[in-house]
Amino acid sequence: MSKVPPAEHTSTAAFERLLGPVLDQAYGTALRLTGDPSDAEDLLQDASLLALRGFDAFRRGSNFKAWFFRILVNRFYSLYRRSRRRGVALDVDQTPDRHLLDRAEAAGLQQVRDPAAAVFGQLDVEAITAALDALPDDFREVATLYFMQDFSYQEIAEVMEIPVGTVRSRLHRARRTLQTALWALAVERGIVASAGDDA
Amino acid sequence: MSDLSPLTCQEAFDRLGDFADRELVPEDRERVEAHLALCARCAREFAFETSVLDALRRTLRRITVPEGLASRIAARLAEAEPGDPARGPDPD
Repeated sequence: MSKVPPAEHTSTAAFERLLGPVLDQAYGTALRLTGDPSDAEDLLQDASLLALRGFDAFRRGSNFKAWFFRILVNRFYSLYRRSRRRGVALDVDQTPDRHLLDRAEAAGLQQVRDPAAAVFGQLDVEAITAALDALPDDFREVATLYFMQDFSYQEIAEVMEIPVGTVRSRLHRARRTLQTALWALAVERGIVASAGDDA
Repeated sequence: MSDLSPLTCQEAFDRLGDFADRELVPEDRERVEAHLALCARCAREFAFETSVLDALRRTLRRITVPEGLASRIAARLAEAEPGDPARGPDPD
């Protein structure tokens, strides 16, 4: 790795050049984590200041986005996680199965070109966010990073500071749980015929 | 022509999540693709899964970034000096 003049490496300008391209994405993730625009901006401001303060520790040429998101997520833990409101938690201990496609086809959606989009594409952001929010924290945070960013499992593992296998396991269970919960909501709202629910 | 052993439907289904996320090693990905080319049922299942994930991703990423966010953060950063713990929030 090439030597970088310390003044440039630690300067606010150098930090901002790296932060700028990921700022909107970081705000989106902060918003989904906190559930509130004002809290999201506070979280992002705090994370930015902490990251600037620790910028000396950032290895130039490594993954700035993963490094910054790790600070963002850690700050979220310390500020919001313990006090975050909790609704009725979804049970993530479900055995993966194929019932959603079965139900979609039983509900007559086999004639539709894209049955998943026909159902899940009609759900509003509030409904999907609420379902995401109902996941246990460990699952919700992995799923939020997954849906909001184009991170690989390895990058999510680095951000969350957990093994890749744990990311995979939590993510697969979280999204299966989300799909089941959202399908039930789609039936409740009449987006899909309830006959499909009995298949 | 691949000499990799073919997957059963269950083996393919077990790889669905990693396949959708492009997390499979190339050999495994090739085996899944070979199975999907022959099994219409699994192909529908995989297309369904991918479409669900795309729909959720699209909806969740509809974010309105507050006006002036970047300027406000830049102003906060300008007030702080790198390495100066007195100017930022308290660490954990």
